[in-house]
Amino acid sequence: MTDQNRCSPVEAALDDLLLDTDPYLSCDDCFDQLDTYVEQLLANPGHVDIPMQVHLKACGACAEEAEALMDLLSS
Amino acid sequence: MSLMHRATSEIGAAPDEAWANELNDPGPPGHAAQRSLHDLLLRATRHQVWRLRHQLPGAGPADLEDLAQQAADDALVAVLGKLDTFEGRSRFSTWVYKFGLLHAGVAVRRQSWRHREVALPDTFDVSDGGVTPEAFAQGSELSRAVHAAISTDLTPHQRRVTLALLVEQVPIDVLAERLNTNRNALYKTLHDARQRLRACLMASGHLDDPSLRSTP
Repeated sequence: MTDQNRCSPVEAALDDLLLDTDPYLSCDDCFDQLDTYVEQLLANPGHVDIPMQVHLKACGACAEEAEALMDLLSS
Repeated sequence: MSLMHRATSEIGAAPDEAWANELNDPGPPGHAAQRSLHDLLLRATRHQVWRLRHQLPGAGPADLEDLAQQAADDALVAVLGKLDTFEGRSRFSTWVYKFGLLHAGVAVRRQSWRHREVALPDTFDVSDGGVTPEAFAQGSELSRAVHAAISTDLTPHQRRVTLALLVEQVPIDVLAERLNTNRNALYKTLHDARQRLRACLMASGHLDDPSLRSTP
């Protein structure tokens, strides 16, 4: 279940607006690391990379690409 | 020896990636390698276009294929320009795929918004399908404080970018194109705006437990 399913639209919007995006990672750095990150995650679903995870929670476009890469490599 | 040559020889290239070492060859082997690279990119762009096809409700299979082909062409240029940056930290095919996925995603989002106006509101007065002023007014004291902080504590640029991305739900690539900037710059603006909002609300006592909103 996602956060947005657990709370009202207003609460979900507040979560999005007030999301703590530290440690900061740029979209360019996220893209640079995405292939390695996804391969590590597929090899070990418990793999932790806080800057990447924070960024992917905060940036919908990068998150979409990460999901698509996971999908593609799993298919 | 290029980075790519060194990387593939050090980690051991997979059989389907052996051709990658030929990409810089100016002769027929290089042309064949580029065709193989394009095929790899096309696999990624088709995958992404079909994943996101719900964003293009009027598009048929031929339209989606055109979009995938165009994105693969664009991604091919990008990959060839970045070949020397491949460091072998992942499989070469995984590295290539991400370029295809990026270009296809951008293409779909831009196509989806091609005929839509991108709102750049300074306030919540203009809202189209996002969180309305009424929704905020009906919310908690925190939501009213956030509304006030957006209006008074963000710079005009931070306010417009934040409202466009998070309230109007404009895709970041589409907004970047309309503002003649890039995803990186917009994300940094959004990051700074979020940090400023959090700081203001913590200072005013409206946000007293930052750990509640800080988990990845």
